[in-house]
Amino acid sequence: MQTATMEVNKGDVTASIQMLLGQLLSLEAFDAVMVSGRRPNSASVMPLLISAPELLDQADPLAPSFALNAARQVGHLTRNASTQRVAAVLRPCEIRAFIELVKLKQGLRDQVLIIGIDCLGAYPNGAYEDLARQADGSLTRQFIEHHLAGESQATDGASLAKACRACENCLPDGADLAICLWGIDTDREMILQAQTDTGREMLDKLSLTEAALPAERTAAVEAVVADRTRFRDQMFAETAAATDDLEKLGRYLDRCVNCYNCRTACPVCYCRQCVFETNLFDHEPLQYLAWARRKGEIKMPNDTIFYHLTRLAHMSTACVGCGQCSNACPNDIDVMSLFRTVAHRTQAAFDYMAGRDLGEKPPLSEFREEEFPEVEGLHWSEPQS
Amino acid sequence: MLRDKYHAVVIGAGIAGIRSALDLAETGSDVLLIDRAAHPGGLLSRLDNQFPTDGCGMCKMLPLLDRDTSEATCLRKGLFHERIDFLPATELSDLQGEAGRFEVRLKQTLQGVDPQLCIGCGACESVCPVEMDDPFNSGLSRCKAIHRAVPHAVAGGYVIDPVACTRCGACAPVCPTDAIDLAFDRRKEFKILVVDDELSVRDSLKEWLLNEGYSSVQTAASGADALTLLSQSSFELLLIDVKMPGMDGVDLLKLAKGDHPELMAVMMTAYATVDTAVEAMKSGALDYLIKPFDPQAMLAMVNRIFQENISVKEQQVAAGALIVSGGMVPFDPRTGVNSYGYGSCPHVLTSLEFERMLSGCGPSQGRLVRPKDDKPLRRIAWMQCVGSRDCQISADFCSRICCMAALKEAELARAKSGNAAETTIFYTDMRTFGKSFEPYRRRAEEENGVKLVRARVHSVVPESESGDPVVRYAGLDGRMHEEVVDLVVLSTGLRPAPGTEALADMLGVDRNAWGFFQPSPFATARSKVEGIFLAGACTEPMEINAAVIQASAAALEAGRTLRHSGSRLAEARQRPSAGGSADDPPRILAAVCTCNGRLDKTQEGAAMSADLTRDPAVINVQFVDQLCGPSGWASLEQPIERHAPNRLLVAACHPLRHHLHRRTMAERTGLAAHLMTTVDLKTDLLPPADNGADLTRREADKAERRAKLRMGLAYLKHADPAFIEQTPVQQRALVIGGGTAGMQAALAIGDMGYGVDLVEREAQLGGHLNWLHHTLEGHTVAPYLTEISDRVSTHPQITVHLQHEVVAAGGWAGDFHSTLQDAGGRALTLRHGVTILATGGEEADTTQYGHGTHPAILTQKAMERTLASQEEELSAWGAVAMIQCVGSREPSRNYCSRICCPTTVKQALYLKEKNPEIQIFILYRDMMMPGFSESYYTQARRAGVIFIPYDPQQPPLVDTSDGARVTLRTRDPIADVDLEIGVDRLVLATGVTPRLPGRLADFYGAALDAHGFFQEADSKWRPVDAHQEGVFACGLALAPQTITEAAAAGQAAAQRALRILDHEQLGAGHPTAKVRTSLCVLCERCVEACPYGARAIDPEQRRLVIHPAMCQGCGACAAVCPNGAATMSDHNAGQMLAMIDAAMG
Repeated sequence: MQTATMEVNKGDVTASIQMLLGQLLSLEAFDAVMVSGRRPNSASVMPLLISAPELLDQADPLAPSFALNAARQVGHLTRNASTQRVAAVLRPCEIRAFIELVKLKQGLRDQVLIIGIDCLGAYPNGAYEDLARQADGSLTRQFIEHHLAGESQATDGASLAKACRACENCLPDGADLAICLWGIDTDREMILQAQTDTGREMLDKLSLTEAALPAERTAAVEAVVADRTRFRDQMFAETAAATDDLEKLGRYLDRCVNCYNCRTACPVCYCRQCVFETNLFDHEPLQYLAWARRKGEIKMPNDTIFYHLTRLAHMSTACVGCGQCSNACPNDIDVMSLFRTVAHRTQAAFDYMAGRDLGEKPPLSEFREEEFPEVEGLHWSEPQS
Repeated sequence: MLRDKYHAVVIGAGIAGIRSALDLAETGSDVLLIDRAAHPGGLLSRLDNQFPTDGCGMCKMLPLLDRDTSEATCLRKGLFHERIDFLPATELSDLQGEAGRFEVRLKQTLQGVDPQLCIGCGACESVCPVEMDDPFNSGLSRCKAIHRAVPHAVAGGYVIDPVACTRCGACAPVCPTDAIDLAFDRRKEFKILVVDDELSVRDSLKEWLLNEGYSSVQTAASGADALTLLSQSSFELLLIDVKMPGMDGVDLLKLAKGDHPELMAVMMTAYATVDTAVEAMKSGALDYLIKPFDPQAMLAMVNRIFQENISVKEQQVAAGALIVSGGMVPFDPRTGVNSYGYGSCPHVLTSLEFERMLSGCGPSQGRLVRPKDDKPLRRIAWMQCVGSRDCQISADFCSRICCMAALKEAELARAKSGNAAETTIFYTDMRTFGKSFEPYRRRAEEENGVKLVRARVHSVVPESESGDPVVRYAGLDGRMHEEVVDLVVLSTGLRPAPGTEALADMLGVDRNAWGFFQPSPFATARSKVEGIFLAGACTEPMEINAAVIQASAAALEAGRTLRHSGSRLAEARQRPSAGGSADDPPRILAAVCTCNGRLDKTQEGAAMSADLTRDPAVINVQFVDQLCGPSGWASLEQPIERHAPNRLLVAACHPLRHHLHRRTMAERTGLAAHLMTTVDLKTDLLPPADNGADLTRREADKAERRAKLRMGLAYLKHADPAFIEQTPVQQRALVIGGGTAGMQAALAIGDMGYGVDLVEREAQLGGHLNWLHHTLEGHTVAPYLTEISDRVSTHPQITVHLQHEVVAAGGWAGDFHSTLQDAGGRALTLRHGVTILATGGEEADTTQYGHGTHPAILTQKAMERTLASQEEELSAWGAVAMIQCVGSREPSRNYCSRICCPTTVKQALYLKEKNPEIQIFILYRDMMMPGFSESYYTQARRAGVIFIPYDPQQPPLVDTSDGARVTLRTRDPIADVDLEIGVDRLVLATGVTPRLPGRLADFYGAALDAHGFFQEADSKWRPVDAHQEGVFACGLALAPQTITEAAAAGQAAAQRALRILDHEQLGAGHPTAKVRTSLCVLCERCVEACPYGARAIDPEQRRLVIHPAMCQGCGACAAVCPNGAATMSDHNAGQMLAMIDAAMG
């Protein structure tokens, strides 16, 4: 089966997803599901690995909160081949990040069934906490209703996180099973779409009714993508203008305290220990003085621009644009905009998109003989006169 | 500085010579490599591009194991290996002794510039007033009389052309290192006797010579007077008038030479007696002058004779074996019957000249313009077989390389012109023999727009107005055509190098009908003299691939001789200690070259000292006058002893030349070579003191020199002195396949004292030798098979596993394990250090042309069996036809099988011999008769064999309706008629397919090419190696090849394997990759990035492991590793950051 309908009771999409996950566990095909949710009496939404079906009511995958990109957690769950199987409900950017990690041997793709949902986005961390408190448990419901109705502002006027507003890749393309919401009458149903063989097998087991995607879906998705692309392109232009020389870049990053939170939050920064935390950057006291002597003054801590440039060099081709770097910054540096702006170009240069396809090798791991002929210096050609 | 004894002397430092020398050096021999030229590289030093990459790859010949023994640099710049001494401008002058104990006399012609002292600064060149045609660019550009022999060479540097140089003496004083010796002082002692009956001539000659510095000139008025003077004192040079009363000049010459054979003489003659003078040269005169002569011409001649006389240095060394790799030279079209306008039309060049034009250091810096008038080249024509395949000029052989060279040149011309140039190759047969040539032709023709025209060129004449050359040719249609082009390139054939005859006579080695060295049957490397071996194109014109294989085979044979004669000393070199513990603080001694005082010690030197000593790691600074050569380095030994540094910083020019100095210093002082570094101070750029170079420039240069010193210091301070890892070697070999190649490989390794397991899946050894009857050259195969299979079966080191196959294997260089299984399923596991894949190939099967439907249609193999067993049947045949390229050179099997054309010709000649009346028709596309096999093609045509080309688009049709006979229908394109031929037998040349299971190759990390042959690491430079070290291939699994070629490939594979087997331990070189396991997250990016397969994940310990010897220190792993878990010793990130910092000031 390719697509099937699943009943939604009076617009409660979350309950239907909980029911779906319950069915997966009861089929005994899975030992646990990982899904974002809230523990009792907690406002924080974090990934929960749930094996007890009765605790599935904690699952809240559509909550407009994105405190952690769970790709690395999926990596931890799938590091070795085993007969244990898990399902994971992930946002599209989490799926893409996980695929990047699989390429880097930090997880095994076929050890997990990935369930993706049309991503409506999330609020910035701080904003979510406030709104959740005010909404008293109904925030997710309100959020879904508003956003599926095509309104990008929440009831109280708060805005989605910048990363989400600029995210044009909001469909769960790499998932085994996709839960489709846009263009669908979510008051009464949601559509499940199998996107892989594993997804199809699972759909067959779930005893659902086959149903096609409604014709309105395409236009609904296009509208969201167009809106976000517009926002994204403006962000690219603004960020590029703000960082197009070393001095400006220095200003952009001048609140950086070298806490490396952005790299800790980054789902694709997969090193056990960042090179900037190794002894390579344990400079001798004399060295700082020598630098100060040469330049007159240096900003402390130093190596800040070097750190961000290095992380861009290492990771921009793997950047999925999830925005966790900006979420993690204690000094509100807009790291995400910088990363996405650069990543957009580095990925385009290699005709690569992070997380698009497991078969695409990371550009810097692959040698192609015919690459960038315009910058090769060895071929003389007759001047065209 | 030569040693007294070498294991081997290699004569000729072209590609083959370099390969042989390196192979021997890598297996522990000391080698003296000599060449007539001033530089190594031979013909290839002038060819920048080689197909199929259209680039160069010479450096791939450098050692991959023990790589610290040589400088890892471009081989065009020079060859620097600690076991190889290279002697330029040297020839063999005498050979005594026998294998194992040769006494080799060498004659070196000094080129006026001491190669050890020359730093290549070019000061001499800028003051030299004499311009001449640049020999490096085939005379297409100009150079000075003192010039670089090869523009990119580091070693050797400058030479003086003895003919062009006028000895004006301008160069010597400007040389900063006193490298130039024009020997003016020694002119005083050069005794000259002028003999002429005319007083005025005697007097003026004497005066001119005196003014030139020859103060020991005497004169004699007659032959008798001259003889008296000669009996009283000794002379070096006689200047003799031919026509004198009484005793004439020639008689005097004969008498004088009779008593004093070493005497040199020049005849002076009027026009009328030029013939006599020429005659005199047969009696030993060096040259002649025609009266009345220009004093300058006379003096130039005397100067040249003087210079040649004093510049010859004779030396003698002992050697265990000799390898002759004298190479080949291009044919000069002017000496042919038809020169095709060469020499008369300026727009006709040879292929070598055109190669120079393509080169960035060529006459037009690689721009594609006509040398004579700078006209951009838009139409270029190549003419094949100039000086080859030409019985009129005794060149009944194919030069093998010209077809591929022309294709490559045409492709490059297309690429360089942005596809604007039309390129046309006029050819007879496009000889793309072998596995990789045919695809290259296809690419050139189908993708890159190179036009191929099968034609016979009649002449090349300049068009009357434009002067553009007009090519007149007869096409395949039999009619004459004309084509006007901008440039004609003559694909000139090849000839033995000059002096081959004299060398062969001296060595007692045979030559063939065309003057090339004659190897023994089935053994290309063996001459008839024990201990003297042959390598490369001196035995037959050949491409790089074949030359490299033969050179390795020659090295193997030489090594075998050395071992048998007991002179394979292979003493272990003293390896210096690792250089102390990582915890020792750096103690650096810095040595700065002053370039013979040109660096101002009080000013700049003092500033440098202050810079350096500001860092407490620098314990001492030395200034040395000439730190580029061995003497400068030797002067550092004392300070090193006194100050006991643990690192050495040397600042001098030409860092590449310091590799051997570092090795020597390490041996002498115990300081590890990798803890010494040389920074290029470019002292050669220091302006002479009185030069008013502008101040800003000088200040900038000064700042650059100081920055370089700081960088060198930073590099050394952060250098890692740690011990380098070693991995043990299983000193046994596994050879898979017991055919010609496999048996030769097994014998070669067994003879060197290492155990060999030889696996053969059949019940007997021999492979195809079991059914082959005789070779094209007429050697019967059976005795050869018996000889080698008996040797293999009885060899104490060889264990033969018949009817076994390898079912599982793994491991890497130095330590493989393989499981063999016999037919009964019994398994046996072996451990071995190297693997040689000699699994062979087979004749391809076909259903084309009715094969399998009629008993008279058979393959070449079936025919060979018939020839051997049913002689009486042959005489009953009236006609036989043979079709070439059946299933070959087609998209489905896009390669030439190399051996089918020679086999066809062989079988045709055999049939003709047995039954001269028999009619034989050979239907072919291109007759692939490379090298000397061409002569059998000629023989076949002379014997009346009829060759008919066919178009693969319209292949011949076979009709079997006529009972026992077969009828063929085809079109003869030349006669333009349809033919119908009835024959008793139709033989199909179906070609060769490899038999190398992908799974087997995979066990050992080897790969297959698109056709299933073994994929070499590089088809030219590493032709028997897999990419993965420790795995080699030979025989038909490698490429279609003849028995002789398979034997050579087997030996070459064995020689490559011996590099590993000769080690008990394999160690890493510098720099080498390391892994910081605590940081590593096993993402395997480095494993994928490693081009040498040197990295793997140990699945049990879940950690990354590096094969120390397979790692070549390229740094790809460190580049892809984001957090420095993969690092490089000697090039670690800390070092690099510190150096960048140092560079910034």
